[in-house]
Amino acid sequence: MSDYDAIVIGGGHAGIEASLALAHAGFETLLVTQSPDTIGRMSCNPSIGGLAKGNLVREIDALGGEMGQLIDASMIQMRILNRRRGPAVQAPRAQADKFTYSRLAKETLEGTNHLHIFMDTVVDIISENGRASGVRTERGWTITSRTVVLTTGTFMDGRIFIGEYDAPAGRLGESAAIGLGDSLRAKGFHTGRMKTGTPARVKMSSLDFDEMERQDGDMPMEAFSFLSDSVDRPSLPCWVTYTNEDTHRIIRENIGRSPLYGGKIIGKGPRYCPSIEDKVVRFPERERHQIFVEPEGIGTEEMYLNGLSSSLPEDVQRAFIHSIPGLRHAEVIRPAYAVEYDYLDPLDLYPTLESKLMKGLFIAGQTNGTSGYEEAAAQGLIAGINASQLLKGEEMLVLSRSEAYIGVLIDDLVTKGTKEPYRMFTSRAEHRLLLRHDSADRRLTPIAARLGIAGSDRAERLRKKEQDIADICSILRSKRIGGKSAYEKLREPGVSAVSLGIPELCGYSAAVIDTAELDIKYAGYLEREEREVERSRKSENMAIPADFDYDSVDGISSESKEKLKAIRPLSVGQAMRISGVRVSDIAVLSVAVRSRERG
Amino acid sequence: MPHYTVDEPIYALATPFAPSALAVIRASGDGVLSMLEPLFTGKLMKAPTNTAVHGFLVGSDGRKIDEVVIIKYGKGHGYTSEEAFEIMCHGSLPVIRAISLALESQGIREAERGEFTYRAFMHGRMDLTEAEAVEEIVKSKSESASQDALSRLSGSIRAEADSIRSSLLDILASLEVQLDYGEDEIPEEWVFPHDEVSRIISRLESIAATYDASRLYSSGASVVLAGRTNAGKSSLYNAILKENRSIVSASEGTTRDYIETECLIGDIPVHLFDTAGLRDTDESIEREGIERTRKLMEGADLIVYVLDGNEEEPSGIDSNALIVRSKRDITGASGSLSFSSVTGEGIGDVLKAIEERLLEGSSIASDVPRIDSERQRGCLLDAASALRDAENAVDSGEDVVAMYIQLALSSLSALTGAVTSDELLDRLFSSFCLGK
Repeated sequence: MSDYDAIVIGGGHAGIEASLALAHAGFETLLVTQSPDTIGRMSCNPSIGGLAKGNLVREIDALGGEMGQLIDASMIQMRILNRRRGPAVQAPRAQADKFTYSRLAKETLEGTNHLHIFMDTVVDIISENGRASGVRTERGWTITSRTVVLTTGTFMDGRIFIGEYDAPAGRLGESAAIGLGDSLRAKGFHTGRMKTGTPARVKMSSLDFDEMERQDGDMPMEAFSFLSDSVDRPSLPCWVTYTNEDTHRIIRENIGRSPLYGGKIIGKGPRYCPSIEDKVVRFPERERHQIFVEPEGIGTEEMYLNGLSSSLPEDVQRAFIHSIPGLRHAEVIRPAYAVEYDYLDPLDLYPTLESKLMKGLFIAGQTNGTSGYEEAAAQGLIAGINASQLLKGEEMLVLSRSEAYIGVLIDDLVTKGTKEPYRMFTSRAEHRLLLRHDSADRRLTPIAARLGIAGSDRAERLRKKEQDIADICSILRSKRIGGKSAYEKLREPGVSAVSLGIPELCGYSAAVIDTAELDIKYAGYLEREEREVERSRKSENMAIPADFDYDSVDGISSESKEKLKAIRPLSVGQAMRISGVRVSDIAVLSVAVRSRERG
Repeated sequence: MPHYTVDEPIYALATPFAPSALAVIRASGDGVLSMLEPLFTGKLMKAPTNTAVHGFLVGSDGRKIDEVVIIKYGKGHGYTSEEAFEIMCHGSLPVIRAISLALESQGIREAERGEFTYRAFMHGRMDLTEAEAVEEIVKSKSESASQDALSRLSGSIRAEADSIRSSLLDILASLEVQLDYGEDEIPEEWVFPHDEVSRIISRLESIAATYDASRLYSSGASVVLAGRTNAGKSSLYNAILKENRSIVSASEGTTRDYIETECLIGDIPVHLFDTAGLRDTDESIEREGIERTRKLMEGADLIVYVLDGNEEEPSGIDSNALIVRSKRDITGASGSLSFSSVTGEGIGDVLKAIEERLLEGSSIASDVPRIDSERQRGCLLDAASALRDAENAVDSGEDVVAMYIQLALSSLSALTGAVTSDELLDRLFSSFCLGK
């Protein structure tokens, strides 16, 4: 008899979703965290969402996850990005009051039945007959469970760097998790080092706001969660300023003191989110770089200097910060720093996020080599869902690349691996027109309902939305404008449903009208994408058993065989995406898989 | 990336691609019978499954291609167990080619090697052991793997395709950066690069156009010898065969109205027909023969009209025909194109003239790389058409424009290898300073 059904290691954004998914399914779940005070902490930028990431948040919500509701209740500015650039690439982004966000996350966990929080540091995962059976902690506890979800973020052997200073830590001032990395390595897990960074925080009252541009959010604010109709939160401005030649000179003169350029850091950092010294070195022709000054919350003076992440020494940081308009008198509360940490190679995972090396162990979040709260939460949710499917003895959930960014994220990680912290981009999805943020509930809530994790309110709201969309379409079909139906008229560029001035549409929410309008405008493109998806559906649906014996198939080239044995894809579709596996080998593989099915 | 599928309409030549009396082309997939119907004069749809239907195959331009027998298979009956048909046609290369083109125009794609066997197996149709099915696909490896297809490309077209791909990737990266970063980070508006895209489209199309010339070398041409009875056609026919040692095969025609052979003229494989003489006659059997000759001439790439010595040029000769005079040893006519089957004099000139005329119209610009397969041509034209769609979608949204540019790149991928999202992101990060 185990102490718990499930143990979740880590209380970050992945751990929150994983533990809630397990507890909601009725499993006694223990969340082990190094500090209950830091549950749901936003270690870096105080914002949630953004391009592709906003879609992830809405997908998490559509599947019954928590992130959407947490940000809806803590946002202090909200914008829809890329409104002009096409609906498939629009996405919501919100600034968060990071203290409210974290407090709400902890309250939510505490208020959930079957969910228990315990403060300790896990140093080893124990297993029985190759299956995860619990954890051992720093204070000497052995706690048993039937499944384990590992979401340790940047804490495994984390080390922070500020110029010449470096120290073991997961975040500045918080202990790293030492020991777990070594015990996993001893068990044969493949680990690597990655690096990320965060900028300085400065005191609001020390800034010269008249030297910066003000940037306000959208009004009214829109909700991430499909459970909310509207958001009633204060909206605070962000501020924009720019670096200059002086800033760049200071950085160039001191570049040798950077641990990154001095060779102390070996981990690979993200190219999409470079430190300011990286930007200055790699793009010397740029005269200035944009800096966003963002509030970290309502009850705090701390402001986040988005665009100024750095691992230069503190005196250099102060000097270049003070060279920037608006920041000339800035009082630095926390310095910028780089953090280097162990990640676990995601190629060791199945698309269910279960480990290939230890049954019953699921791994999610930044530990898998990703970056971002949203990417972490998305994996945490899937790991939690699949851990409970395992406990229930039911089929696990693998989302396809054409139904969710979550599907793209996990498929990329477990099929191709990653060399730098993986961030979601819309261009990673083959069929992004199908993955609009406003359609996440239509794509995913039915799946969640089937698994019993959606909650009746989500399913009911979706039913109502589908009904509204159908009604709106029939209203548009029945109205005639300039010799054609309003429905036809809407297909023309530049025409919007609102601009047609149809009084019958007044009763419907703006969000639902938008969704209907986009479906109509994009109908031709959507059909085309669907046809493409349909072409590959058969191979996506052709399952390969995890223990498939590739050596028993004669026709597959040895090169492809090695790759297939390493990745162990769960479908022919996934096998096709492994780089370097030949077309003819895939054909041989499908014949072999099918013939084995037939016995 | 090409891959083996089921149910998608495909066709393949089941007999070797070589001149022979008969050839078999088979097709399989959902809806193939109704896709074939508009090309076929026989009553295919009404025929019961597993029966043969006789009729003519007609190209999409309305021209008759060949008289054929088609065996129809309803779903669950044929080799693959999918809806299918088999065309028994005459085994000449131009006929096989014309039928392939017609099927492709209906949306039936050429099968990967071994794909029929693959489907038969996947539908549980085959009695073959698994080992045999696998073996066939394994044999096809060199044909189907895309890297092998790449190595078949000539250096110049490879370089050209790579350069086009690189330009498109730059355009896509400049667009994607707008789609993956917010307007507050990348405030500049993206402008569709009309000039550059037009240049790429015309480049793609001019490479595609080289296919007509190169297909002459790979698939051959049909040349019909025509003229009055006893004008000297048969002696020219025999003289060409004697002159040309690279005879592939010589066989009696399927009717007594003409005889045919395969030979090389220049380096062009030529299907050479010696026809019944053209003359007015009351005899109905001979009239039919002449009618068939006329049909043959209509489908020919070149008609060589043989005049008897000093015979007056009759009216009504096809203006594109090559006029050749016989009996040069008797008439001594050396001014116009003439030959003597007795001395062999002038035969070389006639061959040279035939080669030149065949190459006419399929001019090969020296700076344009050449392609040599229908599939490559299709990829290039698909890419060009996707770029036109991208141009037209400018008002619909940048996400749609991006979709079409991606489509153009994926059409080119058969020639250049696929663009992965990692490659795109590499391009993006190396070109733009990003990240707050």
